[in-house]
Amino acid sequence: MKAKMGLEIHVHLLTKSKFFCSCPTDYENKEPNENTCPICTGFPGNKPKVNKRVIDSAIMVAKALNCKINSDMFFSRKSYFYPDMPKNFQISQYEIPLAIKGYLEITNKKIGITRVHMEEDPAKLVHVGGDITSAKYVLVDYNRSGIPLIEIVTDPDFETTKEVREFLTKLSSILEHLEVYDATKEAALRVDANVSIDGGERVEIKNITGFKNVEKALNYEIVRQESRRKMGMEVVRETRHFDAETKSTATLRKKEFEEDYGYIFEPDLTKIEISEGWLKELQKEMPELPDQRIQRLVKDYGVNKYQAKVVVYTDKALADFFEDCCKIYKKPEEIIKWIITDLLKSLNWNKITIRESKVKPKTFIELLKLIDTGKITGRLGKEVIKEYVATGKSPKEIVEKKGLTLIEKDKLIKVVKEVIKKNPQAVEDYKKGKEKAIEYLVGQILRKIKARADPNKIRKLIKELI
Amino acid sequence: MKEEILKKAKEIDKKFNVFVTIADKVEKTVKGKLNGIAISIKDNICTKGMQSTAGSKILEAYIPPFDATVVEKCRKEGAFVIGKTIQDEFGFGTFSINTDYTIPKNPIDPERSCGGSSGGSAGLTTAADFPHISIAESTGGSISCPASFCGVVGLTPTYGRVSRWGLIDYANSLDKIGPIGKTVKDTALLLSVIAGPDKYDSTVLKLKEEYFTKYLKNSVKGIKIGVPKEYFGEGVDEKIKKLVWEAIKKLESLGASYKEVSLPHTKYALSSYYIIAMTEASTNLAKLCGMRYGLHLPLKGNYDAYFSEVRKQGFTEEAKRRIILGTYARMAGFREAYYLKALKVRTRVIQDFKKAFKDYDVLIAPTMPVIAPKFDEIAKLEPIQHYMMDILTVGPNLAGIPMISVPCGFVDKLPVGLHIMGDHLQEGKIIQVAHTFEVNR
Repeated sequence: MKAKMGLEIHVHLLTKSKFFCSCPTDYENKEPNENTCPICTGFPGNKPKVNKRVIDSAIMVAKALNCKINSDMFFSRKSYFYPDMPKNFQISQYEIPLAIKGYLEITNKKIGITRVHMEEDPAKLVHVGGDITSAKYVLVDYNRSGIPLIEIVTDPDFETTKEVREFLTKLSSILEHLEVYDATKEAALRVDANVSIDGGERVEIKNITGFKNVEKALNYEIVRQESRRKMGMEVVRETRHFDAETKSTATLRKKEFEEDYGYIFEPDLTKIEISEGWLKELQKEMPELPDQRIQRLVKDYGVNKYQAKVVVYTDKALADFFEDCCKIYKKPEEIIKWIITDLLKSLNWNKITIRESKVKPKTFIELLKLIDTGKITGRLGKEVIKEYVATGKSPKEIVEKKGLTLIEKDKLIKVVKEVIKKNPQAVEDYKKGKEKAIEYLVGQILRKIKARADPNKIRKLIKELI
Repeated sequence: MKEEILKKAKEIDKKFNVFVTIADKVEKTVKGKLNGIAISIKDNICTKGMQSTAGSKILEAYIPPFDATVVEKCRKEGAFVIGKTIQDEFGFGTFSINTDYTIPKNPIDPERSCGGSSGGSAGLTTAADFPHISIAESTGGSISCPASFCGVVGLTPTYGRVSRWGLIDYANSLDKIGPIGKTVKDTALLLSVIAGPDKYDSTVLKLKEEYFTKYLKNSVKGIKIGVPKEYFGEGVDEKIKKLVWEAIKKLESLGASYKEVSLPHTKYALSSYYIIAMTEASTNLAKLCGMRYGLHLPLKGNYDAYFSEVRKQGFTEEAKRRIILGTYARMAGFREAYYLKALKVRTRVIQDFKKAFKDYDVLIAPTMPVIAPKFDEIAKLEPIQHYMMDILTVGPNLAGIPMISVPCGFVDKLPVGLHIMGDHLQEGKIIQVAHTFEVNR
């Protein structure tokens, strides 16, 4: 069966203050309702005032998504009653959004962008003693109320969840490169996803937090719709809620027709003209975007396209890390090889990102140098990286504490001689032409010296000494 | 002295119910332009530490955490705030009867209305025998109407001249704060204090400070007056028309010239005004749901059930009517035909005025089609007849142009207002014409 999907992506724009007041946006480690004022709590007599930085950021996003930007911009009131809405209307954009008709390219395909608009985030609801369907009561925290959001609406162009993943990975990387998005905050990205199968009714899954959950929610929903179809049951038009714990969706409300938000123009805000001059200024501020960066990495560092894509799309910070490493150690190919294999593996194993880890270019290069100068073997290097990522201790320190440096040559010769002496049968077999016998001897020696020598060197020594 | 004024204000309130709240003590004031003048403030303008209800029970006991910009500016000029004046709930009315608080009586004849919605402000201004100016507010005529009915001066500034920060919104694209005083001079003085840019209101124009008292010249030489014929039509009391014409002739005798003009879209102004005003109002009032401030009830049922009960108890019939009509006009399927159409009509109305002001300095018409009606007469009126009362004031209010209502005589011993309208930002001209008329009458 063929799935058709579209996304509405809400991203917190990274600004210091809220959209329409000067309250700070940073709500981490804050008491509930600490970042509030009469504007973001909707007190009588308040008037919104636009934070221009929000518009700048939103324009840059729209440009990166190849959109047409409207020259006159208006805000609208989207009215509905909900306890997280201080005014029971949300300042948003309606008939004239910031930008329309864009696209983002993924493998072999363009995903259309219907529109990009700005709006304010409502407050955060805390469901006490249950979830949205079972909680006895709800607490409201207005710290989040009025934080600027950008909403990106795609055309229903997705056919597989793999495409969705690729799109979101790319989008997230673009937003990070524009420095308008904090990927470390899970709540900074929320998605409403629409999905239908074989032209059937459209189901909306609301409020999926974090983009990894989007794929899970869609996978579940596709399977659910498919199995209903197979059993001859109807898929009804409705809004569903995704439970990140159980990774399943459940009915939130039946939806027979479009909700009516009774939009009017926001009369407290004037028309904002986005002039050519303004756009030119922003063009100058526009940073390098992921695709450009991948090309540059290939050109400037001689890495291959696959490697460049991995560092750029995994995390902007990882690409930054790669380039910082290259500044202090001119071996980009080797650096990227270690980053995208063992370093990434260890980060994933510890479930942290490069930013959260204590991995720094200086100490990481220290490790590569230990390997390159033959102080430790590559095999030991893999072991050292694990501990380095987990503890943040410097590789030198790890190597020294564990005594992992190569042993001195005369000590090695001594051990080789000892092993030869103790295993006359193996020596005999080797002399008779059994090549494998020497490997047995190498193994014995490596065990004795705790792998602190290069196996090739050992092999050479054995041959010399028998 | 101030204690004496407060005492007098209380006596006036006892007789005519002009206040929602009276200051319980005399506050310390700084030195400034408003020293020695008592200032009263319409109840929809937020005053820090003093109850501000906008005439609604849903905001009873609501004490704002901040001063409206106009209040702050007055305090900086040494204003002595004596209290909050009664009004129609949120400004929804023409007679100050749409409120669950007490209804103000016209001091000239207590069986009659003060007009509305700034009824308390105008009633107090008439009755006060001490230096006093009121800060009122107009959406569709709420300064001019009560000024006319109470025989005082009401000045509605250009939209964008005065900050609305701290004004409890009725219809944000129409609301204007302005003064009501005994004389043109009083209103010019207060306007000078409250006008000017404000970082808290994006719709305020960034203009330089202006002293409007400098326009208090006794001369109308060379002033060209336009007389819009649509404003002298059916439904306007003949005796009022006669008084207004006499006033125009008087100005002519003082050196002005006049000519009849036409504002062809006048007949559409009323419906356009009510659609826009109610539409915006229906969104503004949504925040009043008994959650963060104002009327609270014991928690019962879910959120929808709870706020519905709060709104059922807290709003008057008129507020409910406007919320329902205003919501209807912006719903999908009707939005195009009502809300968006009304916005287009507003543009036409503005164009009418702009065209007229190419040839004339001011337009002059009656402020209200009638004199202050008796309460028992008002009781017989249908809602639509209430709305029809605003027929002469909604046009200029919709256009956002400045206007001033000055007394021009009496009909049946009740005052009549002369409405002088100017082009956007031409407060100076209307002040000059009004002042000249006032001193030569």
